[in-house]
Amino acid sequence: MFRKLVFPLLTLTLILAGCGPATTSTPTIILTDGLNRTVTLPRPAQRVVSLAPSNTEILYAIGAGAQVVGRDESSDYPARVASLPTVGGYSGFNTEAIVALHPDLVLAGGINTPELVASLEKLGLTVYYLPNPATLEEMYANLETVARLTGHTTETATLVDSLKSRVAAVDAKILPLNSRPTVYYEIDATDPTKPYTYGPGSFGDLLIQRAGGANVSSNLSSQFAQLSLEQLVVANPTIIILGDSAYGTTADSLKQRPGWEGLDAVKNGQIFPFDDNLVSRPGPRLVDGLEALAKLLHPGLFK
Amino acid sequence: MTNRTLSYLWTLLFLAMAVILSIAIGAVFIPPADLWRILTGSLSGTTLSEPLKTFAFIIVSIRLPRTVLILLTGAALSGSGAAYQGLFRNPLADPYLIGVASGAGLGAVLAMSVQWPYTFWGLMAVPAASFVGALLTVFLVYALARVGKAVPTTNLILAGVAFSSFATALTSFFMLRSTGELRRAISWLLGGASQAGWGPVLTILPYLAIGLGILLLSGHTLNLLQFGDDQAQQMGLDVTRRRALILIAASLATAAAVSFSGIIGFVGLIVPHVMRLWFGADYRRLVPLSIISGAGALLVADVIARSALSPQELPLGIVTALVGAPFFLWVLRRAKNQGFW
Repeated sequence: MFRKLVFPLLTLTLILAGCGPATTSTPTIILTDGLNRTVTLPRPAQRVVSLAPSNTEILYAIGAGAQVVGRDESSDYPARVASLPTVGGYSGFNTEAIVALHPDLVLAGGINTPELVASLEKLGLTVYYLPNPATLEEMYANLETVARLTGHTTETATLVDSLKSRVAAVDAKILPLNSRPTVYYEIDATDPTKPYTYGPGSFGDLLIQRAGGANVSSNLSSQFAQLSLEQLVVANPTIIILGDSAYGTTADSLKQRPGWEGLDAVKNGQIFPFDDNLVSRPGPRLVDGLEALAKLLHPGLFK
Repeated sequence: MTNRTLSYLWTLLFLAMAVILSIAIGAVFIPPADLWRILTGSLSGTTLSEPLKTFAFIIVSIRLPRTVLILLTGAALSGSGAAYQGLFRNPLADPYLIGVASGAGLGAVLAMSVQWPYTFWGLMAVPAASFVGALLTVFLVYALARVGKAVPTTNLILAGVAFSSFATALTSFFMLRSTGELRRAISWLLGGASQAGWGPVLTILPYLAIGLGILLLSGHTLNLLQFGDDQAQQMGLDVTRRRALILIAASLATAAAVSFSGIIGFVGLIVPHVMRLWFGADYRRLVPLSIISGAGALLVADVIARSALSPQELPLGIVTALVGAPFFLWVLRRAKNQGFW
């Protein structure tokens, strides 16, 4: 009698148990990251440690800010990330500080080394390596990837649409233009006879072109390249943009440099400070950077 | 107790304290009471509470392998440094004198310029390239310094210095030409590379065992070499062959040590000198004492590197010179044993 009852009861319990979670559980997230690793998350990550400023900006922009529990030292945007614990930065990351935060996802970026990813993986952490995008399209794809990892796909679709329409608005005004001012974008001029500038393949170069400028360093051989002052004098840019203004470079200090006084941009006072983070961090603020550059280069078109 | 036993006792005590420090101190503060509970708990097999489990994980999976890797690296660099100083009869000699560091650096930076697949072998590319670069450099320098059958020390040093400059220049050139991240290369060159886990330890262990083993048995040879090559030859030592053996052993240990940790300067130069000032210049003792204290010294430097700017980590090579140089100058000023060299 007893035995006869147990089996159906047991079956019933199992069926009920099987039904319960199935209705509430979300499908497992399986993605391939920038190092060709397969990353599996049972559900959207709730405790994320970001290892790159661009990743932090992406997480906050797509509405996953509340899920971020740690950051690298260079992450400073949005301002409220200052209260988050840091886990290292430029000179090195501290794996035990990361482990102690119990993250269910560590979001690494193009500035992190594969060795760091391997170390964290060996410690049993789930790491997603978000590769640096080369185009705005790839940046949007990165936003969508992070959205899937953190469960914010709906907000992100809206965000990407608005980013795309802002870019389209800039394109609409810039594309018909025939004349494009020549631009010199300065990253670092510690040695003013050969300052660092953005070469081809960098977002600095890409956004200057898209904003309707002709980058005088477009023909250099690497993304971050030193431009000789002689070449700069020959190119004679119409506009000088100071990406190093955060480090104290001003139009006045630039005028003091020997050999720079002959440039048209210096004579005409066409020297502008600029927030380099808007073009150097491959996140959604690249679009802010594009708009700011377009406004700088074509003030008449953007009021 | 004899002087000799005492010297071993002191250095071993120092090493033991350094190991304890290295396990106890890190970015995450673990109270000593918890440390004790974890130790006793894991020995008796009782289950730990949730926060203690995290601490235990940090100690066993992060601090312990790193401590062992740093210990081995320090031992290899100081032991090789002592041997090099004896071999070249030169107080300026360190394990990098004839090009191990510059060769390793060139190999590493070349390997970093390639985007390796994320696989076991892809991750091994940089350490393997630096190991091969270091050993190739030593063989090349040795071949270049050779005059007939003899290999005069002056030739070795000069060939080493010249080739090092060449390799360093190439390294800088490749770093400037690379479009990728410079900080990876810079942190490697400053001794700031660290890979977690037991993999690196197990990989370098055989090379260190062979290299340091030979050096430990070479004390007598090194003592004889102090009389000069001719004298040593007359005393029945096959100078060229023995010197080559010590050179290979020291280079093997150094190359293995830098392959995972990057180039850590100064330990290999200073620790043997301190040991010589304190305990005398007998190489039968100097080599083992340098190995023991070098391990301890690098562990202390690593604790500082991890905690000074926590949670950021400093490259070890910066700390060794920044803290080691003043310490050495202090030892030098206090030395009763003047003109010790």
